[in-house]
Amino acid sequence: MLWLAASTAIAAEAPLLPAEQAFRYSARALDNRTLEAVFVIADGYYLYRDKFAFAVAPDGAVLGVPELPAGKIKADQFFGNVETYRGTVVVKLPLGGAASGQSVVLTADSQGCADVGVCYPPTRQKVTLALPAAGAGPTAKVEAIPPKKRWFQ
Amino acid sequence: MTKTLVRWIAVALVALAALAGGIYFGKYSPGESPANPLQGLTLPDVDGRDQPLDQWRGKVLVVNFWATWCDPCREEIPEFVKAQARLGDKGLQFVGIAIADQPDKIRRFSTDVGLNYPTLMGGYGALELSKLLGNRLAALPFSVVIDRQGRVVHTQLGLLKPEKLETIIGKLL
Repeated sequence: MLWLAASTAIAAEAPLLPAEQAFRYSARALDNRTLEAVFVIADGYYLYRDKFAFAVAPDGAVLGVPELPAGKIKADQFFGNVETYRGTVVVKLPLGGAASGQSVVLTADSQGCADVGVCYPPTRQKVTLALPAAGAGPTAKVEAIPPKKRWFQ
Repeated sequence: MTKTLVRWIAVALVALAALAGGIYFGKYSPGESPANPLQGLTLPDVDGRDQPLDQWRGKVLVVNFWATWCDPCREEIPEFVKAQARLGDKGLQFVGIAIADQPDKIRRFSTDVGLNYPTLMGGYGALELSKLLGNRLAALPFSVVIDRQGRVVHTQLGLLKPEKLETIIGKLL
């Protein structure tokens, strides 16, 4: 009973979003050599620039160095200056070893916090992208959590 | 009875899932009180020595899930240090469980703030375990206050402010 009472207290105290909703990840292929990852960060939340990590599958496909935009400098007593993002972050990722029409899975690790004083552990999210045919232009954006699913959360 | 059984199954499933995923969270053999999923948990300290949480049974225990990568966690720890220094003699014992962290960073932080209570190393499995205590988002900091009988009397996601801590533990010491 005590356990149940304690759980209820938390729910009332901290109406926080799950990490994957606070930091909504989507991606698209701009062409068969460039992927674009987008994070839409909910108001009151932020992500750390140096905690991003990206990986691509299957074997054979390789990612170049991600082009991360400059963040806002936040002074941290322990780690020195750290860069954080709010709002929307767009990251371009050079892709090699993949062909038009091929499907790739782009995995993104991110880590962030809420202004209310809570941090989330590093979160891993994935999207599967079909690379466009040569000259076909960017693919449609693929969301890690389809909007439909959010209606029930 | 059914509720107890369901909780036991939940504990077992989380433990199995964590182990199956190759996540180390120490040795875990739940005790007789299903109201406290931390009972029976053993985690290594920063020097790799196994530390069973049950060694602090009989004290008023504040278990703080935290990490050096969690800014608000670091913010509240100096207050815990003060409370430990002031009320340790009366039976208050803080124990930190650092999540997905590195011993060298913890040592550095411990020196910076003059940490006067133990820190145990918890992987994501330990964070999963905190979900059983109501930390449904597996976020940090998350604190659990356990009375001298081993019962969980308070859980807190986010900062456990000194006034609130005082109110809770004042009744238990």
